[in-house]
Amino acid sequence: MEFDKKSLLKLGKLARISISDDKLNNLSKDLNSILEFVDQLKEIKTDQVDPTSNSLYQKLEVRDDKVDTKNSAEDILENAPEKEMDFFVVPKVIE
Amino acid sequence: MVAQMIEDWNLVIGIEIHAQVNSKSKLFSSSPTDFGSKPNSQVSLIDAAMPGMLPVINKFCIEQAVKSGIGLNAKINKKSIFDRKNYFYQDLPQGYQISQYKDPIVGEGFVEIETENGQKKIGVERLHLEQDAGKSLHDQDPNFTFVDLNRSGIALMEIVSKPDMSSPEEAVEYVRKVRSILRYLGTCDGNMEQGSLRADVNVSVNKPGNELGTRCEIKNLNSFKFIHAAIVYEAKRQIKLIEQGESVNQETRLFNTQSGETRSMRSKEDAHDYRYFPDPDLLPLTLDDDWIKGLQETIPELPDQIKERFINEYSLSSYDANIIVSDKATSKYFEDVVKNRNPKLVTTWVTGELFSILNKKNLIIEDSPITSKQLGELVDNIENGKISNRQAKEVLEEMCESGKGALEIIDEKGLSQISDENEIESLVDNVLNSNPENVKKYKNGKDKLFGFFVGEAMKLSKGKANPKIVNDLIKKKLSQ
Repeated sequence: MEFDKKSLLKLGKLARISISDDKLNNLSKDLNSILEFVDQLKEIKTDQVDPTSNSLYQKLEVRDDKVDTKNSAEDILENAPEKEMDFFVVPKVIE
Repeated sequence: MVAQMIEDWNLVIGIEIHAQVNSKSKLFSSSPTDFGSKPNSQVSLIDAAMPGMLPVINKFCIEQAVKSGIGLNAKINKKSIFDRKNYFYQDLPQGYQISQYKDPIVGEGFVEIETENGQKKIGVERLHLEQDAGKSLHDQDPNFTFVDLNRSGIALMEIVSKPDMSSPEEAVEYVRKVRSILRYLGTCDGNMEQGSLRADVNVSVNKPGNELGTRCEIKNLNSFKFIHAAIVYEAKRQIKLIEQGESVNQETRLFNTQSGETRSMRSKEDAHDYRYFPDPDLLPLTLDDDWIKGLQETIPELPDQIKERFINEYSLSSYDANIIVSDKATSKYFEDVVKNRNPKLVTTWVTGELFSILNKKNLIIEDSPITSKQLGELVDNIENGKISNRQAKEVLEEMCESGKGALEIIDEKGLSQISDENEIESLVDNVLNSNPENVKKYKNGKDKLFGFFVGEAMKLSKGKANPKIVNDLIKKKLSQ
């Protein structure tokens, strides 16, 4: 799989990461070498294997529907760069 | 009016319902789910997506999803997978929503709705579990958006229909029906005002015989009225575009509840832009046959079954039965009253007088000022002839105001109807004996005087005589 510059810019946009032109070449090269490495997996024959989403042979752990409030609003907002009236404050998002 | 405008066009409507699971804690964390709490007071480190947190699934939410699936006549998938749906937004701290993509917990099913042309089956594509996002407030400050994460991580069931609806009325009926089923099951409280149940509606139009048109999705409709209005507006908008030679863009739109219009929100990113992949924090969810069977046994009687039973057991019309079973509390109330009483009379008093009182006072039946037991007592007194229908209305109003029982009010007001034949006979004799002239005229053919005799007898009884008995007796006496 070839990771071209256009796909890279799109991926950056989706993650809201800006990629400057001078970094574009190197990043693309890096990503391609990672993909090439992972591509080796394709050599394994998997037509007899069911699709697997997880390689652990365990059951999903579940919990009971019990409420446990561990944090106050103050705690959770402690790391917020901007806060007001118990809200996180972020730059205006216009839809 | 709608019909005229869109007469030559087909409407194709599909709906995604987001129903909040009726759980005390969130889907993957133990934070509470209470509505209207102080902002960010119900947020754990998991909900805030702090590094190193592990989601652990709420067993109750799995059960509710499966129960809902059974209620929607759907296939329960014994293996389902949680995926990450990646997108960047300020009210999504993880940067992805945990949802289910290719392998949902519930597969295909259907619900039946009543339409103008009888019953119609609406296909359900799937039901899956996912996290709700936080809430953004854009109108608090001109330069900033405020974010409350209390809702972040609450369990939602997304129920996706097939594009089987072809009018705004059918769409509303479908959402009503799904809501009713979930409420009967107790899996979602269905409170649309508080956002516990909201709908995204996909609408497209095409000319009969032509291929399907391009669809638009209208997001987050939280009332039946808005669902109807948004579809009407959107269909007209699309038809107008096509008739002007323009084309419809596939996009997500918002419905403005003030203006009744829809406007473009953003071009919906292609599905693969969400870069779904199985969440490595969560193993596949597997369900045992025995466990599913156990849940099946807890499923209560659902509206369709109750409706059928009401029609068979109480000879209700399909129309009346529909009204009564559409709400769980109403059918329970009806059933409490109707036991050992005349179903027709009970239906009239529940769907007629009681409903009009509730409407007037803007109350739901759970908060009815008149209990089912009290209404039963009133109906008893109509049935045994103690009071007339007209008097009963008076009594009901008084019951509402004072909270007193029917019998107490009847006694207090001296309303009790006279049904004793001997007593009424002496009244009638009295009337006929004091009006010999009129009796003569009547016997000579002046039929109209019949009403006069009845009126006199009723007057004499101070309105308490059973009018039917009065009528019968006068008829009998005058024909002798």
